[in-house]
Amino acid sequence: MTDYAIELTGVSKRFGNFTAVSDLTLRVAQGEIFGLLGPNGSGKTTTINMVGGLSQPSSGQVSVLGHDMASDSRSMRRSLGSVPQETALYEELSAEANLRFHADLFDVARHGLEQRMTHLLELVGLQDRRRSRVSTYSGGMKRRLALARALLHDPELLYLDEPTLGVDVQSRRALWDYILDLKQQGKTALITTNYLEEANALCDRIAILDHGKLVAEDTPSNLKRKYGDTVIDLVLEPWPEPELILQLRKLTGVADVTHADGVIKVTVEGEHSVAGEVVTLVTRQSRLVGINQHQPNLEEVFLSLTGRGLRD
Amino acid sequence: MSLDHDLRVIRATAGNDIRVALTDRLFFLTGLIIPFNFLLVFILFAFSGGLAPTAVVMEDNGPLAQQFVATMRNSHSFRIHVTDAARAQREIEAGGIVAVVTIPPRFDSDLQSGRRVELPVMVNNLQTDFTNDIRRAIPLAITNFYAAAYPDQVVVRTREVDVQAHDTDYVPYLAVSVVVAAVLITGILQGAIVAAREYETHTIKELMLSPAPRWALAAGKVIGTLTLNMVAVVLVTLVVVFLVGARPTHPIELIGLALLTMAASVAIGILAGSLLRRRQAAIPLSIGITLPLFFMSGPFGPANWLGPVAGAIAFASPMFYAIEAFQHAFHGYQTAQPSLTADVVVLVGFAVVSVLATSWVLSRVRVDH
Repeated sequence: MTDYAIELTGVSKRFGNFTAVSDLTLRVAQGEIFGLLGPNGSGKTTTINMVGGLSQPSSGQVSVLGHDMASDSRSMRRSLGSVPQETALYEELSAEANLRFHADLFDVARHGLEQRMTHLLELVGLQDRRRSRVSTYSGGMKRRLALARALLHDPELLYLDEPTLGVDVQSRRALWDYILDLKQQGKTALITTNYLEEANALCDRIAILDHGKLVAEDTPSNLKRKYGDTVIDLVLEPWPEPELILQLRKLTGVADVTHADGVIKVTVEGEHSVAGEVVTLVTRQSRLVGINQHQPNLEEVFLSLTGRGLRD
Repeated sequence: MSLDHDLRVIRATAGNDIRVALTDRLFFLTGLIIPFNFLLVFILFAFSGGLAPTAVVMEDNGPLAQQFVATMRNSHSFRIHVTDAARAQREIEAGGIVAVVTIPPRFDSDLQSGRRVELPVMVNNLQTDFTNDIRRAIPLAITNFYAAAYPDQVVVRTREVDVQAHDTDYVPYLAVSVVVAAVLITGILQGAIVAAREYETHTIKELMLSPAPRWALAAGKVIGTLTLNMVAVVLVTLVVVFLVGARPTHPIELIGLALLTMAASVAIGILAGSLLRRRQAAIPLSIGITLPLFFMSGPFGPANWLGPVAGAIAFASPMFYAIEAFQHAFHGYQTAQPSLTADVVVLVGFAVVSVLATSWVLSRVRVDH
């Protein structure tokens, strides 16, 4: 058995002249929650569709739980659970009917099915509405039901395409809790999301895609350290000579230095750690009254890697 | 993967489609309105096109005059009512009748004395179909009347040899074709709707992401849609049997053929819906293709009578075989060359090939983003 739940090796997907995914290589470990981030049209959903066998790569290899999806996708599907972006629920039917149909398609044992359905519906807070038509559900309830359905056949690997798209804050938090619970159960999850806060809260590792290419891959904290800017605020007394600003700017890793309202702001690029040098330099010339360091957030990382231009 | 799972998928898919369809008004409108409209239109067409409404003005009421009108009535060409000259004039001017036939005064005495009799016929020659009916039917009625009234003078007689065991009226003959059209058109339409809806609502992803065999999904869809289609088919057949009066000679055969034709048509529809993926495209295209095929498949008489080109096209259509087989079930005869067995084999072939083609299409489904 491979250590990796998902392996993409040199995967490309082309639609005519348009390349949706270009030479993508990714590995997702067993038991990991892995996030695919990227602006609209970056290739996230195309990638997840290739993992689910809904789309064939134009080149490269997709392997899931050690099986090649190009030749062995049918037998693998029993081990995969999916929450598609569109939820793919039969909205005319009740939650219960949707789950029963799923159980039949995935050949879930009839013995104990009722209890399992009840357990999952209780887990996602829909037990009271199990006989209501799905069309009467809110967006958040539909997503929760889609998650319950994906878990019904007890898959080893779950993939969730924009699991909290368009749902309210309460539902989003509830869905996060369920997803984090999966990790406790040792399941692997692949998530695409536009929400950086979500990726930060859920994912062990993140891959950022842009224009179908992998632009960064690491843990959220490493990404922030590598690609985010740290800002150090310094309050000095007395106010130093202008020469200090020039000296600070010359330090390796310092991107910018500004001063206003008695505060000097030192912006430090990526992984550089210059706080000690900054403090040493300023205390030679003045007295350090206050210091505050702002850590970068994932949004800054995302924007620095993918740019600020609007995407369709 | 096991046979038990395959059967479970078939049953679940059929049940799921039935439950979803029961909430879909469009599905039921298509299933009921189209076949009943069809039946109504064709029966009206048959009635309006078959008999020319004709007024007879009797200026002589002698026995020969009465016999002549009776011969006209038996000619299967006129819908006759007797009236006076003024009313007949008003009716033809108002467009209510095609012709006014006047039995002149002294009709009986002139005939008995061997004098020439002129029969005034006023025709509304608005269009040649009805006009020619009148032009053909009145001389024929005269001939038949003369042969009956003066058997010694008319020595040429026809000696008819019937190919079929009994005559069949035009409306019951046509009604059988209409039942077939109802079965096929609603089957194809409902199959197309069921399949295309999965793509429109994205629920196709639930099917495609499952380990269910594609052939079992296709077969389940055929069975589910066939069950729903049965309601419309049974209703149309009951109307044809009890109101139109076309009684099936072989009722068990009729049930079997109806199920088989429904299976073939629904399977073709599911294939079309899987390829087109949108109801908006599937509905008009299904009607647009099946209607001309219906007219080429021998609804009014054997398809070969339409000429070699139309006949050849008809041979490629399941409707042709279905009409033939249904005519046998209703009236007990074969309308064209292939045997009933051949018709059944072809219909089974259409159903099986469509299910296999649908499972192939489903196995090739890709989601492109």
